[in-house]
Amino acid sequence: MSASATATATATAAELDDPRSAVTELAAGTRPFLLGVRHHSPALAAMVPALLDAAGIDVLCIELPADFQPWLAHLAHPGTVAPVALAGTREDGGLGFYPFADFSPELAAVRWARERGVEVLCCDLPLSDPGWSADEEAAARPDPVSDSEAGAGGAEGSVGGPTDPHAGQRFAAALAEAGTGREGDDLWDRAVEVLAPGCPPEAVRRAALGVGWALRQDAQNGDGVRPTDLAREAHMRHVIATASADGTRRVGAIIGSFHASALVEAGTQAPKVEEAASPPAAAPSAQSDHVTSLVPYAFDLLDSRSGYPAGIRDPQWQQAVFTAGGDPERLRDAAARTVTALCRELRAAGHPAGTGEAAETVRMAGDLARLRALPAPGRGELLEAVTTVLGQGEPLGRGRALARALETVMVGAGRGRTAPGTPRSGLGPAVEAELAELRLPRPEEPEPREVRLDPLRSDLDRRREILLQRMAVCGAGYGEQVEVSGTGDGAALSTRWRLAWTPAVPARLDLASARGVTPAQAAAGRLREDYRRASAQDGPTCALVLDGLRAAASCDLPDLVADRLDEAAAILPASATLPELLAALDLMEALCRQHLPGTTEQGREQAAALIETLLDAAVRALPGLAGSEEPNDAAALVALADRAGQRRLGMRLDDALDALARTGSPLIQGTALAVRVLLELDEPEALGGRAAGWVDAATAADSRRRLSKLLSGVLIAAAPLLQSAPAVLDPLMDRIDALTDQGFLDRLPALRGGFDSLSPAARDRLLRTVTERIGDRLDLTLNAPPALLAAWTAADAAGLAALRSLRIPLPDSLTASNPAPAAEPAETAEAEQTPAPHDAGDASQSAVESRNSKDRLSPADRWRLLLGRQASNLPSGARRYAHALDELYGAGRGEGASGVGGGPNSAGGGGQEGSFATAREWAEELDALFGADVREEVLGRAADAGRTDVLGELDPASVRPSVELLTSVLSLAGGMPEHQLARLRPLVRRLIDELAKELASQLRPALAGLTTPRPTRRPGGRLDLARTLRANLAHTRRYEDGRTVVVPERPIFNTRAHRAADWRLILVVDVSGSMEASVIWSALTAAILGGVPTLSTHFLAFSTEVADLTDQVADPLSLLLEVRVGGGTHIAAGLAHARTLVTVPARTLVVVVSDFEEGYPLGGLLGEVRALASSGVHLLGCAALDDAGAPRYSVSITQQLVAAGMPVAALSPLALARWVGDRLRGDRS
Amino acid sequence: MTLTQEAPARLERQVLPAEERHADELAFLAAYDAGPRPPGWKLTPRAAVTFICGSGGEALKTAAPAKSGKGKAAGALPDKLVIAPKFVGERALVERCVVTLAGERGLLLVGEPGTAKSMLSELLAAAVCGTSALTVQGTAGTTEDAFRYGWNYALLLAQGPTTAALVDSPVLTAMRTGRVARVEEVTRCLPEVQDALVSILSDRRVSIPELAGGGAADGAGESEGSVPAVAGFTVIATANLRDRGVSEMSAALKRRFNFETVHPIADAEAEAALVRRQATAAVERAGAEFAVDDAVLEALVTVFRDLREGRSAEGWDVERPGTVMSTAEAVQVTASLGVAAAYLSGGDVLDLVPGHLLGVVRKDDPADHGRLLGYWDGPVRRRAEDGSALWRRLWDLRETLR
Repeated sequence: MSASATATATATAAELDDPRSAVTELAAGTRPFLLGVRHHSPALAAMVPALLDAAGIDVLCIELPADFQPWLAHLAHPGTVAPVALAGTREDGGLGFYPFADFSPELAAVRWARERGVEVLCCDLPLSDPGWSADEEAAARPDPVSDSEAGAGGAEGSVGGPTDPHAGQRFAAALAEAGTGREGDDLWDRAVEVLAPGCPPEAVRRAALGVGWALRQDAQNGDGVRPTDLAREAHMRHVIATASADGTRRVGAIIGSFHASALVEAGTQAPKVEEAASPPAAAPSAQSDHVTSLVPYAFDLLDSRSGYPAGIRDPQWQQAVFTAGGDPERLRDAAARTVTALCRELRAAGHPAGTGEAAETVRMAGDLARLRALPAPGRGELLEAVTTVLGQGEPLGRGRALARALETVMVGAGRGRTAPGTPRSGLGPAVEAELAELRLPRPEEPEPREVRLDPLRSDLDRRREILLQRMAVCGAGYGEQVEVSGTGDGAALSTRWRLAWTPAVPARLDLASARGVTPAQAAAGRLREDYRRASAQDGPTCALVLDGLRAAASCDLPDLVADRLDEAAAILPASATLPELLAALDLMEALCRQHLPGTTEQGREQAAALIETLLDAAVRALPGLAGSEEPNDAAALVALADRAGQRRLGMRLDDALDALARTGSPLIQGTALAVRVLLELDEPEALGGRAAGWVDAATAADSRRRLSKLLSGVLIAAAPLLQSAPAVLDPLMDRIDALTDQGFLDRLPALRGGFDSLSPAARDRLLRTVTERIGDRLDLTLNAPPALLAAWTAADAAGLAALRSLRIPLPDSLTASNPAPAAEPAETAEAEQTPAPHDAGDASQSAVESRNSKDRLSPADRWRLLLGRQASNLPSGARRYAHALDELYGAGRGEGASGVGGGPNSAGGGGQEGSFATAREWAEELDALFGADVREEVLGRAADAGRTDVLGELDPASVRPSVELLTSVLSLAGGMPEHQLARLRPLVRRLIDELAKELASQLRPALAGLTTPRPTRRPGGRLDLARTLRANLAHTRRYEDGRTVVVPERPIFNTRAHRAADWRLILVVDVSGSMEASVIWSALTAAILGGVPTLSTHFLAFSTEVADLTDQVADPLSLLLEVRVGGGTHIAAGLAHARTLVTVPARTLVVVVSDFEEGYPLGGLLGEVRALASSGVHLLGCAALDDAGAPRYSVSITQQLVAAGMPVAALSPLALARWVGDRLRGDRS
Repeated sequence: MTLTQEAPARLERQVLPAEERHADELAFLAAYDAGPRPPGWKLTPRAAVTFICGSGGEALKTAAPAKSGKGKAAGALPDKLVIAPKFVGERALVERCVVTLAGERGLLLVGEPGTAKSMLSELLAAAVCGTSALTVQGTAGTTEDAFRYGWNYALLLAQGPTTAALVDSPVLTAMRTGRVARVEEVTRCLPEVQDALVSILSDRRVSIPELAGGGAADGAGESEGSVPAVAGFTVIATANLRDRGVSEMSAALKRRFNFETVHPIADAEAEAALVRRQATAAVERAGAEFAVDDAVLEALVTVFRDLREGRSAEGWDVERPGTVMSTAEAVQVTASLGVAAAYLSGGDVLDLVPGHLLGVVRKDDPADHGRLLGYWDGPVRRRAEDGSALWRRLWDLRETLR
């Protein structure tokens, strides 16, 4: 121990025992000779042989459970290559796990003993001893620290060291004080390892004993030493005493330095009688039925970050320290080699890291060590220097590359192996034993079998299920899960497996055995490794975390579940998209309800807390829905608001809904308004009033489309509300009632479209509500055979005649309301007689006539029409409208759509009229009924719905260009053969030309005008000599010798000017399915910007792959026909491609058009953005590029993008052109 | 803002530079540790670390009694002195900074705004070379002249390019004298201006082509046309990570700096104490007495920390606003609360907290308002439910946030 460290410890703890003398006493003891170690300690391991030689040991006691005694010979065998691990199952189910590397003092000692022929005794408690679980018994009270990996402060990986130095850590704190004061410093490392180089072995031993003594003092003064430790120490004393009983042999004990002070002079005590009664280390394995094993191990598992117990940080580096053998010079060499290797790795990853930086890193590490008075740089100094010099303060991109390089260089990939002749042990035997216990196919009975498990009901099944899941994770190839279908909406809770023990299974198990000796450990190891590998590149994705959580839970690995829950809590709120959040909420609920094993009480609480957090996150993500046109999103909004509203109604939700109701797309606006009513934030009447207002305003094509969307939105959220709270309905009913027939018919397709979001059954119910309220006449249409009807009518007629003959006064209604049904047959006949193709004029005239006829549509009929139900109850004139619209909407979706006799009228007008034979026929009917304007709307909508045949009916010359239409045409064009496409080209061409013309007239002015250097008085650019002279001629002075001098009081300079030459614009456009409108606007904008002379425009379309469509930029038609919409989203790939196009970063603009729902690790995306931003490229993200400016995007991800250097906004093409123009002109901001 | 314990102002200047404020300690440390030091350094590296991190409450004694030969300055040196800590943060960070400078390499301090980067750079410069005055303030309008040299244009036109007409930049001065130049907010300079530093840091000389002709003609060896850096010259730059309107540094420039990330104060209590101290000073400067309750102050600091870190003290997830929530802002809010309490009395100071917070958070992004509401829905509500009267009051005040 260094003088300064000891001095500080002494100074702080002077009033207690003098540490110096206590440590001296410890070190001086020879019965036994104590060697306090940490389980991994390169400094000590290097010196163990020298120390043991010097002490002249005859018997060596080593802190390992007695069960491992038979393995020692194999462990020390020269053919055994470290790292290897000893493992054994404890009585309480816990796992004793002891990895050994070359730098483990115990291994060094065992090897030394073999060379010298010294006897080695395992002196720790046998695994079967109840002492191991003494802690749990003693601590029925909640123990804050029972996790054996909690030893942040110095017991990291120590065998049986104290697990938590937080309580009463006076000495430890004093020692830590002498270190760097850095966060997470390792006490043992600072007090022993870094000081050891160049010291005599005895000094290192004293330092190690000193640290253990300090920790033990702290433990005694704090919570006391744990019962397990006391029990173990008692056993160790006993073994030591037995070993030295004859008094002639010199005993050495290699134990965790924490235990050292408990074993002082243990050899002098006679073995106690009762202890002697239980024969300890004699031949433990003989009776022990505990499975112990010696398995090969690997450096990456040895690293303490791998999640395996008793590891150490950066084993490869520790190995280098061990190899250096305590020589400072060789250590500095090792540091230099490590840094050089790091730089090579970094360069290989494409980051600049030259010899200069390597030299500076080594210099810095060395100087830091010198400043801290250390003989050579330790791991801490090395890492600090590396981070400072090579990290460049970037956690992403370069930082990640550095972390990967560190993992390669410092952790290493070394693998151990056991010596030939070592008995088979580990995973295979453990699995076979467990299979036998669970009565599943095994080597003795390998016959294939199919089992059905019900894990929630039977405990045996539960255990079987868990074992099978674990083996599946390990890749044992033993069982195959068979799909089980659930009942109704419920998920299946039972499972089916097809099982067989094939010769491949043991072989595969042996492969997996490096990761663990029990199925649980191996499965956990496999899951952790897979997870680490998947997230190594750019960090985990949300999907990865959720999958990992689900897998860990179904394998019943509570520790791993807890880890994944922590990860989920860290990652999901920050980067999950709304669908992912909903999936996560479902999974959390499954955990809380224990549908999955692997949850502890604590884990369930954690999951419950996470539900709340995730709901908060989901509320946060709501603004990102603003621009959505997807009914799914609207449904998600409802589901979320409902869930969040049940818990509590936050101001945030209120605010977000309010914003959506004001600024969202029509669909979302409608939904948000209805949700507000559902949550009782708004009055139902107000919603009804607004809905009526929408109907009023729907006079033009645009506003009708809006009406349709708004209504859909409202109804997705609030269909039941309409039935239960008719106040909402009243204003709407009044309005529909008050419309003229013409007005109603104009709006009919839009209204019908809006109500189409309801299921047919719901529409039936709504119709019933409405007709009740209108007080409609009784339903007179009977669903009876005509013959019966005729008989009834005859009877009725006879009755009427009878009444008349008796002169009884008749009610008016009987006579007044009858004409419609009466006239029906005649009118229908007339309509059907009207020949469609050649005299359409007649048809429309007759339609107009019928519209103007005095028997206007009754309110109930209007509702039948706009709900699309009970078409056969309609007057015959109106039935044609219903029929024409049914062609588009069909039967609807959801409840009642497929019902056989769901109502008197299924789609198709009650079977009276077949669907239209051709699209042309239909189009003409629409034209006749609604007029050209509405016809186009309906056909456009049909195209949207996927009817390719209607496109032929759209007249390129007269069609009104709109992005919506273009969108649907293009989405259909994707699946068309070329000869059909050829027919479409004129239409698309015209749409594109019109839109582009419109856009270009907006954009051009924004791009005009370039700056030249201007004169200024601000010093900055070059001096403008001519102007300066001219401006200062007034201040001329004449010297005596006759020379004249101009005194420039007002110098004039030129401003810096950016020459707008060779700018490059790279549009990176997301075509992953949800971006059609933006894709079109991007293509159009690209075409126009491509016409700007100083700008070369590139167009990259990406989904999961990137397509460079730059050569088609000039022709948006072919560009758009080339784009294939669909697939996932991999923005990072798009950006990576864009980066290859960058030549002069300062004159490159990269515009990303996307919804930013990245389906790949976020780290990669952020890294690309940082890389682009730091190279000086002008970056801009467009959450939407369209006229409306209402974006649909992932709020959480865009926030992180903004932080990484890419501003994100929803822009109109004009705003984008302005931005581009500003960059070109050199304005920053 | 400075994160130090302010020494009472001796002059009427608002702020004293570090080397004047701590002149005693610097002189003492120079005498205390007389060991070998890098060229141009006033203190040994170890003493420089002690100067910034303090001596841990121990009084340091000069090894040899100070000689009183050099007049009263040396004679006034005390034998023992407790060096006050001036920077709240990791000692290892300061050690790394000092080691970087000792290697004459550029040091770049990065971090969120308000994390005392500028103060640290000032202290380092004062400790290493005795002056923190050679400073360039980076702005979007900073020109290359600030890093290289400018001209006295009157002289230039009158006499042509001569040494007399040359105006040295702070960086050039530092090179001539072998001292530390500071560049504040280097990322605010335009990239082409930043790149002027690349050649300075790699070549360690500035060439002045305008003077080169004359020098070469005279054949005077080391021509005037180039100014080499004297041993000891180095650069400390600071940069913000989260501010708007920053220009990214080029990779070439980055490679010439060692990066140190300065984090916000980790310890909540230390931050609260600091806020209290500085706010008290500010309120007293305004001529009033500081009367903000400790509990209110603690709550305020908690809110700032939660919003800054994106995670509450209890581990709940919080959405970070786009606005910077630095300690400096917390001091300002506390000071305004103190002034309001003193001059505009009436009611509880706590009632003013939500309004002030809204003012801090809602600067440029309207979504930040939603984030503050979310904070109220989350941590504030939960703490109120846990039964804290103070937080319940804040929860009741939520309507003021709308």
